[in-house]
Amino acid sequence: MMMRCQALLGTFVEITIEEGDCCAVDDAFSAIKQIQDLMGFHNPLSELNQINRWAHQVSLQVHPWTTEVLRVAQEIHKQSNGLFNCGIGHRLVAAGLLPRHIDYSEYELGGIEDIEFTGPQTLRASKPVCLDLGGIAKGFAVDKAVESLIANGIKSGCVNAGGDLRVFGETPRSIQIRNPNQPSQLIDIGSLQNGAIATSGLYFANRDQQESYFINPLAQDESEAHIQFSDSYSILAHECVYADALTKVLALSKEQDHPCFSHFEAQAIKIAA
Amino acid sequence: MNWKPNPFAIVGLAMVSAPIIAHAKIYVTVEQAQKILFPNKQLTEGPIIITDDLQERMRVASSIRHPFQGDLIWKTADGGWLIVDEVVGKHEMITYAVGLSPNGSVVGIEILEYVESYGYEVAEAQWRKQFIGKTAKDPIKLNQDIQNIGGATLSCKHITDGVKRVAVLYDLALKTK
Repeated sequence: MMMRCQALLGTFVEITIEEGDCCAVDDAFSAIKQIQDLMGFHNPLSELNQINRWAHQVSLQVHPWTTEVLRVAQEIHKQSNGLFNCGIGHRLVAAGLLPRHIDYSEYELGGIEDIEFTGPQTLRASKPVCLDLGGIAKGFAVDKAVESLIANGIKSGCVNAGGDLRVFGETPRSIQIRNPNQPSQLIDIGSLQNGAIATSGLYFANRDQQESYFINPLAQDESEAHIQFSDSYSILAHECVYADALTKVLALSKEQDHPCFSHFEAQAIKIAA
Repeated sequence: MNWKPNPFAIVGLAMVSAPIIAHAKIYVTVEQAQKILFPNKQLTEGPIIITDDLQERMRVASSIRHPFQGDLIWKTADGGWLIVDEVVGKHEMITYAVGLSPNGSVVGIEILEYVESYGYEVAEAQWRKQFIGKTAKDPIKLNQDIQNIGGATLSCKHITDGVKRVAVLYDLALKTK
């Protein structure tokens, strides 16, 4: 068994494989690094920031992975009636949680619904947008890393990006979730085989006295945008991109049987603080 | 997807009778990190004495107070460097390796160990000592059954800070060697 860890996507990404060589793990980390380079908000030259800067003025050609993640984001936006929306970057910029690359103050900003695909890999925006993929790209990166491992012949393993994880192969793996009351304590929630689980919780942000990075996209103004909660919200799904994004729908709606979850064959778990 | 829920952790239940404490994970040894960052390259030890001035400049650049130990440094024949460093946060201690190319650019960063605990424990040098030189095969407190931890995302900011101080080390001490 091999277990490696690198600091990527602003967190610790852990890759575990039952059997296989280092090269397969290196390739999987490279896939995650590529997603960080394409979709990171911090890097002013990322494709995401090119979209934020130009998409309302010109049509842009983007990487197939960027297309893929934006299409999933639109699908979840639609199914959740707008509870999930990546067009909240400006809220996080205003709170100082993300760097300010562009001054949006004179614009009325749109959301993920304002992105139009004009070709298989070209898009433009009908309004200026400030997209942040922080609520979905981690899960997407986990999926791409798993795909890369499988393509390299790895039969069984786990990719865990700071708590959003996916297991693959025949071996069921027991999953522990942090107790929102005491995050160093873990709760064994059962075993998972060929599936993903992602969790939203603010306990680390609260512990470190940081402003909540959890944004309600339907909020009309700044003062209502940041959501506070102390519970832990997890979603189980086939793929981590859905698990990651749907935790936002759960934490905002607080409905474990929101129709969105059955649509994506996902399951919700709330751990009360 | 096949999920078998733990009957004790049914949806909505806050606590399970016996909590499992997240402690430590050891990923790779120094030797393994050397092979990952510099495959097929011969490394020779090149420890550095860290002067007070250098220590201070590294502290200012990174805002890490925990002093840098200069004893885990290696050099490749073509001028690359491998530095093993440790950062200690309020709640965690992380050992990591940075590979630098001959011109000082980062070729890779690999996490060796991640130890998580309460602040007071991490602050104790004595407590930290128990992890030094351990490998993933050592039983100590490492609970090998705990591998897949889900939860809110942890920040890797300490690693970013750590790499900042390694960059200062390269500029002021390694570049001219």
